[in-house]
Amino acid sequence: MHRETLETIAFRAGYLALFALLVLPLVVVVATSFAASGRLAFPPESYSLAWYAEFFTDVRWLTAFENSIIVGVGTAILATALGVLAAFGQELDDGSRIGTIVGPLVLLPLLIPPVILGITLLMYFNEIGIRGSYVTLVLAHTLWATPLVYFVMRSVFSRFDWQQLDAASDLGAGPVQSFVHVVLPNVKHGVFVGGLLAFIISLQEFVMALFLSTASTETIPVLAWTEIRQALDPMVSVVSTFLILFSLVALALAVVATNLEWVSKQLS
Amino acid sequence: MSDANTHSDLAKSIGTALPSLPNPSELSSSNRALLLMAPLLAFELLIFVVPFFILLRISVTEGSDDTVYEAGTWSLEAYAEVFTSGLLRDVILYSFQLGVVVTVLSVVIGLFYAYAIWRSSGIVTSLLLLSVVMPLLTTLVIRTYAFTPLLAPTGTLNDVLLSLGLLSEPVQFVPATVGAVVGQLYIVLPYAVLAIYSVMATMDWGIVEAARDLGASRPRSFVEVVLPQVMPGIIVAAVISFAWSVGAYAAPDLLSNGITFAVHAEDLMLGDMRYSLAAALSVVMLLAMLLGVALISTVLNRFGGDFDLA
Repeated sequence: MHRETLETIAFRAGYLALFALLVLPLVVVVATSFAASGRLAFPPESYSLAWYAEFFTDVRWLTAFENSIIVGVGTAILATALGVLAAFGQELDDGSRIGTIVGPLVLLPLLIPPVILGITLLMYFNEIGIRGSYVTLVLAHTLWATPLVYFVMRSVFSRFDWQQLDAASDLGAGPVQSFVHVVLPNVKHGVFVGGLLAFIISLQEFVMALFLSTASTETIPVLAWTEIRQALDPMVSVVSTFLILFSLVALALAVVATNLEWVSKQLS
Repeated sequence: MSDANTHSDLAKSIGTALPSLPNPSELSSSNRALLLMAPLLAFELLIFVVPFFILLRISVTEGSDDTVYEAGTWSLEAYAEVFTSGLLRDVILYSFQLGVVVTVLSVVIGLFYAYAIWRSSGIVTSLLLLSVVMPLLTTLVIRTYAFTPLLAPTGTLNDVLLSLGLLSEPVQFVPATVGAVVGQLYIVLPYAVLAIYSVMATMDWGIVEAARDLGASRPRSFVEVVLPQVMPGIIVAAVISFAWSVGAYAAPDLLSNGITFAVHAEDLMLGDMRYSLAAALSVVMLLAMLLGVALISTVLNRFGGDFDLA
């Protein structure tokens, strides 16, 4: 009995320590963003909103913010369209050979180290002559965002009552009509969560963006990276706090539409 | 006149072609399925498969001083450099060492944390899940950067250890390999936890209780009952951790002086503009990494579970 109590205490202490360690870096980022001085230290010596004021007057950061949003929205639209259609097709499919390769193929880009993907795509886009536009970034990010949308939708479609679709076509609805009026209303939460995750993936992605963006299309993570290699000041913390806030809001929206447990499982 | 003619010709040919176009409602279910999957397949082909053939082609060209590579040439000189250069050998070796260390830590800690989430209930479950999902949704630039004020010689950890009297002088955790390991672990751990947890969540706690009722100690019931059942999750966790840590870029670059293959390849690509060598190095690393992934899943599969990429 004594040993069991010890085990329980050690177990609790273990996961509480891990919890603290996992949250600590995020706390550091948020806390240092309120620093008054230019030196990056945790905890900060004194607090102010000086670096926030600085952010809103800095054209470079505001442009990068705009770039991130454009690329993120583009990625969300493209990845959602591709992922939803393919997952729906997969449901209708009766085990054709092409059907069975879709899952592994769409997952494969996630296993390739992003530096290799970045190098490969930069060479490819140079070769076919599209460079320095948002298109390259959107295409690269879609490669990573689509698997998430696809597997979210597979899981959503697997719970959909397919007899409703038969009923619709018995009542004379065409395939497009029945998709829009019968399937879509039932899975709209899933589509929303999928699109949201795709947006977040794009917003946070850094390595591929480092290779593919130019001075005029650089996203927030790329600019942040350039900045921290030059000088460590709290500005990056301010930007990071905004990004964390974005993710929190998106996560809250996704959880409201479904639940945390489900969202967490979709992310793995 | 001629314009109008072409237009009417065009209209006529569209008119005759239209009826022969498949009407969605007449398509068989399997054809419709293929039609729906076609955009994604075309995308993967054009933005993923074809680019890798271009990479392969560029890896066997001659390097050039004035352009990024000598188009149209065939040469194995880039591969020869990858296999003979002492610098590149060190770089590749360091990448794999980092990959193995981070993978082992990530799987062990991930297993423990996933188990804690599984055994918890209510608000604690939500908080623990949130603690892995939030870092996951934060850009890895921030995840890496946050460790600088914590681990630097004048940073928080050193301050704490010095004031507790555990250290007599500051230790340089950053930049050093230990910093890279910690930073990279923080990048892959959330994925490992979720991969293992999603399998664990489908398990029946009753089996573990049964084992304990039959006299198995808690550690023993974990090793003999829980571990074999979550093996598919462990394999996914190990594969993800390994693949991403071997290709680690941000953590080693910012938190360590050691040069990984990714750091070096970025330099070759964007700094030196040596495309042939960067391509050859990428191809070699990709193959070596896939070999490692195959090895990991084979070895772990022997302990139970079956790994399926989908």
